[in-house]
Amino acid sequence: MTPVLALFTPKGQHNYGLIISILIGAVAGGTSILWAALGETISERAGVINVGTEGCMLVGCLAAFATAVKTGNPWYGVVTGAAAGAALAAVHAWMVVYRKANQLATGLVVFFLAIGITDLYGTSYVSSEVHGFKNLAIPGLSKIPWIGPILFNHDPLVYLAYVATPAIWWFLFRSRWGLLIRTAGEKPESLVAYGLSPAKIRTLSVIAGGALAGVGGAQLSTAVALSWAENMTVGRGFIAVALVIFAAWEPMKVMAGAFLFGAAITLGSQLQVHGYKVNQFLLDALPYLVTIIVLVALARKRKNAAPEALGMSL
Amino acid sequence: MYLSRTAGKTTALLAILALAAAACGSSTASTTNTTTPTTAGGPATTATGTGGACISPAGATGPGVGATTIGFIYVGSTSDFGYNQAAHAGSDQLKAACPNIKILEAASIPETSDMVTAAEQMIGQGAKIIFSTSYGYKDYAVTLAGKHPDVAFLQQGNLITPPVGPNINTYFGDVWQTVYLGGIAAAKATKSNKLGFIAAFPIPQTLLNVDAFELGAQSVNPAVTTTVDFTGAWCDPAKQADATNSLIGGGADVISQHQDCTSTIIKTAESKGAYTVGYHYDAQSLAPQGWLTGSEWQWGPLYTSMVKSILAGTFTGGKFNTNYTAGFTSTDVASPLALAPFGPSVTQATKDLITAAKAKILSGTSPYTGPITDQSGTVRIAAGQTATADQLSSLCYLVKGVVGTVPACK
Amino acid sequence: MTAPVVTPPETPTVAEPPAEPENPYGRFGPLVKWRPTTKTARSAGRILLAYLAALVIFGAFVALRHINPLSMYHSIWTSTITNRYGFGQVLVRTSPFILAALAVSVPARAGLINIGGEGQLVVGATAAGGVALALGTHVTGFPALLLMALAGMAAGALWAGLAAVLKLAGNVSEAISTLLLNYIGADVLAYLVYGPWKDKSGNGQPASKPLPKADYLPTIGILKAHAGIIIALVAVIVVAWAMNRTKWGFALKVVGGNPEAGRRSGLAVAGLTLSAMLVGGALAGLGGMVQFSGLEGQLRPGLAATYGYLGFLASWLARHRPYRVALAALLIGAISVAGNSLELSSHLPGGAVDVLMALVLLAVLSQKQAVKA
Repeated sequence: MTPVLALFTPKGQHNYGLIISILIGAVAGGTSILWAALGETISERAGVINVGTEGCMLVGCLAAFATAVKTGNPWYGVVTGAAAGAALAAVHAWMVVYRKANQLATGLVVFFLAIGITDLYGTSYVSSEVHGFKNLAIPGLSKIPWIGPILFNHDPLVYLAYVATPAIWWFLFRSRWGLLIRTAGEKPESLVAYGLSPAKIRTLSVIAGGALAGVGGAQLSTAVALSWAENMTVGRGFIAVALVIFAAWEPMKVMAGAFLFGAAITLGSQLQVHGYKVNQFLLDALPYLVTIIVLVALARKRKNAAPEALGMSL
Repeated sequence: MYLSRTAGKTTALLAILALAAAACGSSTASTTNTTTPTTAGGPATTATGTGGACISPAGATGPGVGATTIGFIYVGSTSDFGYNQAAHAGSDQLKAACPNIKILEAASIPETSDMVTAAEQMIGQGAKIIFSTSYGYKDYAVTLAGKHPDVAFLQQGNLITPPVGPNINTYFGDVWQTVYLGGIAAAKATKSNKLGFIAAFPIPQTLLNVDAFELGAQSVNPAVTTTVDFTGAWCDPAKQADATNSLIGGGADVISQHQDCTSTIIKTAESKGAYTVGYHYDAQSLAPQGWLTGSEWQWGPLYTSMVKSILAGTFTGGKFNTNYTAGFTSTDVASPLALAPFGPSVTQATKDLITAAKAKILSGTSPYTGPITDQSGTVRIAAGQTATADQLSSLCYLVKGVVGTVPACK
Repeated sequence: MTAPVVTPPETPTVAEPPAEPENPYGRFGPLVKWRPTTKTARSAGRILLAYLAALVIFGAFVALRHINPLSMYHSIWTSTITNRYGFGQVLVRTSPFILAALAVSVPARAGLINIGGEGQLVVGATAAGGVALALGTHVTGFPALLLMALAGMAAGALWAGLAAVLKLAGNVSEAISTLLLNYIGADVLAYLVYGPWKDKSGNGQPASKPLPKADYLPTIGILKAHAGIIIALVAVIVVAWAMNRTKWGFALKVVGGNPEAGRRSGLAVAGLTLSAMLVGGALAGLGGMVQFSGLEGQLRPGLAATYGYLGFLASWLARHRPYRVALAALLIGAISVAGNSLELSSHLPGGAVDVLMALVLLAVLSQKQAVKA
């Protein structure tokens, strides 16, 4: 067998080759980032950067986990996770839309708020047992060689993300609502001419974005980690914000970017497990290096993609 | 100076407000309850002394004598279901043993000069004994001890060379002893002969554990290897889940760890049908099927003994005023570490092997007895020799049989 | 500031660039610019209310946990302001906050968003630590400090300069690239202290060899703080001067207001962008050197973590005006020191300080500004 082929070849029951393993980990680990980045896409399309996405994820993690612990049903957790993310995003929206506060600074403050609140209320859930989401192999599809294990043996929130991503694309680019949102991000003043309130549209978009980030948090705590820990998002929400720019504010590219990021995160583990000599610190830096490189590589295409009024107060 | 419309004026206003609050607040004394119930299954209040008051006898002198307030500084959250929670549980036991002592706690203090700030504020509030519970606090604790000769500092997690002043000690448990025993359980359970170990960073304490785990495994099955995955984080549950899945995907069927928060790895391994050797806590409830055993901290008795020694004025020159490590061999106080209860799949034959190995350690034969060779085949500890405390506390290599990479070292 | 308040005749339209209807800030004279008009009084009232709201909300929050809010505020006050050690600690934290904030303010003048103070601070400290290791005991005292400062500034400038180059040559938003470079900077430090720069005699811990006592920044006895606060305040004055009194500062402002107009009037926009980022990075790098040589003395992973982000907030709170930056940094420094008192005296969890910080910052940020920041 050639060494290259060995990278793909399964060995034993659980055992996939290096590349397949990385891709499986990319999807599993990239999905929480994907949800948050989809939310941020809606928010930024409406003209509002929400660095507090990290905070929205974090409160989503805790709310979802606590609910899943209390009710025994992780789907209720998804609902409360989304609600918590939305509630925190509403603070951001109020600040930047109605108080015209700077978006980046406010987002950072919202993140601090989330860190504090989750630390205060999360303590009692650290040792809780949860019945979280389990992996569901999709009959038939999961048996496809290579593709099956990579894409079709995950938790339900991964599959939901497969559906949500094109749906959000359709919503943003083919629905009337999407047009209004994009107008709020490009030429908000023109909405006023039609008797619409760009402030309301921006507010709703930011809140919707926070809800999706909350779902990402829910996936992290109730499907991936099956636990709550202080500050457990560890920067994934910030990554999501970077990713939206990287993906030129387009949901399908956001998905590709999220999985690329997921791959960069899992790469370190996979290489170590497969016995490669690695530099741990280089691997830790890799996701960020990859993002910068892709940003440079795609710079030309992205040049005019940014919503014109992104980051600006009304 | 230029009074700005926002920052300047508002800062001044804040100051006025705070002044008003201070004026009102000074009449109402704070009487909040310091004890918080232990949230996880830490060891219940095992007998820690006779209970009752912990008061210095008349005429006692020395650092920390007369202390009525004790400060605890932790590097992480005291509810991390891991290292810091175990230390916090120890402080609760101390509180139970000495109800008259007021305990101050500062959690999530990074291993930077922030630790000094926290300690100074505790001392400012009357603390005369400071538990500095993370290895990275060491240098700050040494400096503080020089500055505050009347305060006793108890530095947890490492050793100080050259040894110590009259008002500071360092102490830790030789947790690699229980990790070694866990390695035996793992080697007897594995079918693939591949063990997985999830670590954070290549510090000596971690490498000691990884190596001891593999050495324990080799002692009963030389064909067993341990693959170590450094995640670069002490508590990133999503990364832990990923690392666990990677290790299991790579063929490992027993997973152990040295992380601050521990539950994700244990739950993930359980859901994948792999065995678990735990760390910090008895977490059998998280893995009823796959739990083998684990290392468990029980700091309470040691904390209480040290505090009583300080209060009695017998700290300086006493047995704790030194580099104090407690393993199974310590007989004078309760050991701060224990082997967690066995899981259902551990056979009697395995238990007997572990009991025998424990007896061997108790009789003074260290698992770190040569020949110990590192990954490259270099002999690190010669045949027949036992590693010194210094060699152990600065260990920087992985032994033969461990798959993984650490920075090059001497 | 005891001189009677002189109200200068207001001629607000004279010599003002149209984009910025407010007076240029930071002028040395008149020192006090207080117009006791109804408008000012009303805005002061609003600000007072906002602060009050933040403190009341936080008070209610802790009251729910059966803690007396008044005694909590009292202990915050005593531990940060009236206690000399506490106040010294506030100053010690404020120094790197000021420098990290100025690192945001200077690029902001040119319309650039530098979220990378965090990473620039870390590489600055790393470079200072590297120089200290290289010098050993061959060079000590002031010359060593000077070399450390230069190295820290150079490294910070390099880190920010990378972002500037990525922007100019690669069309990558500096807001994103500086954010990403924060993580890479932390990994560089971790790599060095776990590997090549690990102190061989330090029991294998991830820390560099301790700085010799003679190479620390001197302590100012009366303040119970190291000289970093002086360095930071000098930097404030120099930055204020450079922003308001030099051609460069003016050119940055033009470019920040409208790059196209700047280009048409013959300004080298690329050079100005680069220089603003380099200066900003150098300031943050100096902050890292101050943290290293004033306080830490050893490089460790996690050194100065979150300092850069708090500096970022200080700059935005102060609308990037240098003198206000110093005050905003002081406020943030005081709250961050108050965190310990919340835990020790009021027995609140560590996260409480983040809530307090967030509420106070939201109160400040929610003040509508007459001028676009």
